[in-house]
Amino acid sequence: MIRRVWREDFRIIGYYTGLVTIGVGLLMLVPMVTSLVFREWASALDFAISAALALVVGYVLALIAHTKNTPGLTHAMVIAAGSWLVAMMLSGVPYLLSGHARSFLDACFDTMSGYTTTGIFLLQDLDHISQGLNMWRHLLTYVGGQGIVVLALTFLIGSTGGAFKIMVGEGKEEKLEPNVRHIAVLIWRISLIYLGIGTVVLGVIAMANGIKPYLAFFHGAYVFMSAWSTGGFAPYSQNMLYYHSSAMEIASMVFFILGSFNFALHYAIWSGNRREILRNVEIVSFTITVLTTFSLVCLALMQRGVYPNAVALFRRGFFQLISGHTTTGQSNIYARTFVREWGPLGMLATTIAMAIGASAASTGGGFKGLRMGIIVKGMATDIRKLLSPERAVVTGHYHHLHDNVISDGVVKSAAVIVVLYVLIYVVGAVVGMAYGYPMADALFESVSAGSNTGLSCGVTQTGMPTLLKIVYMLEMWMGRLEFLSVFTLFGFIATSFRSMRRRKAAV
Amino acid sequence: MLSTTELVEDSYKWDGQTVSFKGEVLQDLMARKDGTWMNLSDDNNTAMGVFVPKDVPMPLISHMEDYRTVGDVVLITGVFYRVCVQHEGETDIHAVSVTVLTPGSAKANPIHPDRVVWFVVLAGLLGLVMWFYYRKPGRGTGH
Repeated sequence: MIRRVWREDFRIIGYYTGLVTIGVGLLMLVPMVTSLVFREWASALDFAISAALALVVGYVLALIAHTKNTPGLTHAMVIAAGSWLVAMMLSGVPYLLSGHARSFLDACFDTMSGYTTTGIFLLQDLDHISQGLNMWRHLLTYVGGQGIVVLALTFLIGSTGGAFKIMVGEGKEEKLEPNVRHIAVLIWRISLIYLGIGTVVLGVIAMANGIKPYLAFFHGAYVFMSAWSTGGFAPYSQNMLYYHSSAMEIASMVFFILGSFNFALHYAIWSGNRREILRNVEIVSFTITVLTTFSLVCLALMQRGVYPNAVALFRRGFFQLISGHTTTGQSNIYARTFVREWGPLGMLATTIAMAIGASAASTGGGFKGLRMGIIVKGMATDIRKLLSPERAVVTGHYHHLHDNVISDGVVKSAAVIVVLYVLIYVVGAVVGMAYGYPMADALFESVSAGSNTGLSCGVTQTGMPTLLKIVYMLEMWMGRLEFLSVFTLFGFIATSFRSMRRRKAAV
Repeated sequence: MLSTTELVEDSYKWDGQTVSFKGEVLQDLMARKDGTWMNLSDDNNTAMGVFVPKDVPMPLISHMEDYRTVGDVVLITGVFYRVCVQHEGETDIHAVSVTVLTPGSAKANPIHPDRVVWFVVLAGLLGLVMWFYYRKPGRGTGH
């Protein structure tokens, strides 16, 4: 039986959502300072207005809903899903004020894409935006990749009773340390160390490639934030094509592959357990699916004679495939090249790679390698059971940090999430087809949105139907939060209305 | 005169052909061993990479695009490659000639007075709300 909703429930949710909103406001100071450094006064003012608005909303929420109670699991899920919506809307204000978003919906589309580390965008005239706005776009994706709610709560309040539940709501269920504050600090420490390394490495490459020295390290930071968070944004509309540099692409590829790995795996390796990388089910699953889908891409590209030699095929084909598989979305070909040159098989192979996606508890999206591994191992165990004598006890195992027994419950949980992902992919594709887009294009773009990848074959444009924009936004949101917290939010809203009606009837 | 969209959509048709292309020079001219890369923006969110080999005379590019600058608009005549062998499969144009059509200029990004008013109002409101929030000792320092 679903419990009733009380005023205290709203206070807890409102208070914590307020804290997250304050975090979003504080985050806007980074692009504001960037704009000031580059003497972009109008842009700096836009960020000052946006930050002030976010802080006012955050403090008002925290003031009127102030409570000393900590969130339970339901609250945590509602806070996680709801905060993402509030953050999406407030973060869209600088986009709108910049004049580069045609509507508030378009602005929200881009911020949802940023926070969910997707990477498709509707921003207009991207090649002429301010450095401040470029910093904001990439910062959103960097912060979104690590989990904005936990970031805000962990750093804004001293201890975080219930914050682990919120972390689960944000799709990071690995408990690396007993204390959630330590987990968040650990995630951020790993990410910030990589940010430093990545900015220097990519900045030096950018400078060597002819980018102006004072801008090279900004490019380095932007490309790193996009890669590490498997986001897919880039400072210019040509994405990675802007740099004409294989070194830039290779370095970025290394960072986005690292970013697509489970944080628990990073932690295991940082703690000295280096053998984990060879045994982990997600790495095994990732390797197999990359090899399979890349073979399909090669077959498609060779059949059609798209590239003149192996070097070109590998540089374009492998980069695109791995960018899709890690759900990054950086691109070194034009969006329409998928349709005009790669053809249905090449697009299908990339679509499958995007649908599978990265590792659980990483910055990536999609079904996740862990679930693929569990389902395949579960099927193998069932087949072994069928082939064994009736009295034989057959158990399956998978290795993720330690050896785990495959139970029906684990397989069922993994399968349910995979089915839900398939469902949103299909819904997005059907809506696209209903608007007249070819099936391959509609499926490609829908999977890209739902798996938070961000590769585009040209469907995502500001002139696309409004309903399709909303469907993609929902796909990005649900895909990133892995459904549970979103469904809890819907359930909470429905229960709230029911409780209100009951109270009115009682009066 | 062809656009990025036309070249990409009909890449097989234009592959290896000499084409004319016009666009605004984006922020970086990237000098390499055998030539210079420039990216030319020809429409909303579309741009093409143009490679200018060392032996092709390069005019002085006085303005390159950034937030405060409109870049020079240049006309390129060159060979379009759907997948350039020299550049490992890149879709690009190898310039034969480069001409500056319109020199760039400074771009005004004026501050709107109404936005200053909005900021002042919001900042005042924020100060008030923060005063209410923090006036109780211990608030904002955790649970």
